[in-house]
Amino acid sequence: MHWLYLAVAVAFEILVAIAAGKAEGFKNRKWTSITLASGAAATFFLSKALLTFDVGVGYALWTSVAGVGITVLGALFFGQRLNLHKAIGIVLVIGGVVGLQLSGSA
Amino acid sequence: MSNAAQNTATATAATTKNSSTNAWLSLLLAGVFEIGYALAVGGSEGFTVLTWSLVAVVFFLLTLYALSLALRTIDVSIGYAVWAGIGAVGAAVLGPLFFDETLTVAKGVWLAVIIVGVIWLKLADRTKPAAEAVAPAPSAGRLADRADAVRA
Repeated sequence: MHWLYLAVAVAFEILVAIAAGKAEGFKNRKWTSITLASGAAATFFLSKALLTFDVGVGYALWTSVAGVGITVLGALFFGQRLNLHKAIGIVLVIGGVVGLQLSGSA
Repeated sequence: MSNAAQNTATATAATTKNSSTNAWLSLLLAGVFEIGYALAVGGSEGFTVLTWSLVAVVFFLLTLYALSLALRTIDVSIGYAVWAGIGAVGAAVLGPLFFDETLTVAKGVWLAVIIVGVIWLKLADRTKPAAEAVAPAPSAGRLADRADAVRA
């Protein structure tokens, strides 16, 4: 269940990044509201996930997987290029998550 | 660098230096607030503990505000990388101090891999528009260094 909570928290955090990008320095009201609401939702589900995960582990998983999601979505839908630099970052994060899980630390 | 040259350089850079120092202070503060946010969200136990929940909301607003101030001056990708890095390292190190948690070697190593990964990923965005704007600066800096070396 805690992995599901984390996944939902990650999805909202990705929405925060997208909305914040459209909020034009928080001048656009609609996207600013969406940014704040998504941030609140992400925080709520993160806190649910942290009932089981250690704070350090859950928090790192949350920001990093959201970061990977933002990069991948950016490449798929927002016309950003997936270069070697980004690929290395994605591999590091996924490798770290798998390692954490396999070592029984997550 | 000769004293005269250094003084001129310092004088012309003074205004930008001040705003840049403030921006970096804001960024460091944002990172500290983010650690507070992570710990408070954990301590809120699914937002059932009132005090930790209120502290989480306050840190959430503080970290957003401080980060937005910092990003007026600092490149977004660098800002996010530093901010995310401070938050993640801080939460991992301070979590065991506040809660019933342990930071084992295996956990620490894999967390470090993840955190390096996310910092690396955030820095990747810099190669897009900022690279063109920033590109002349390092070469100019290198030229200045070379001139100094000749003078020395």
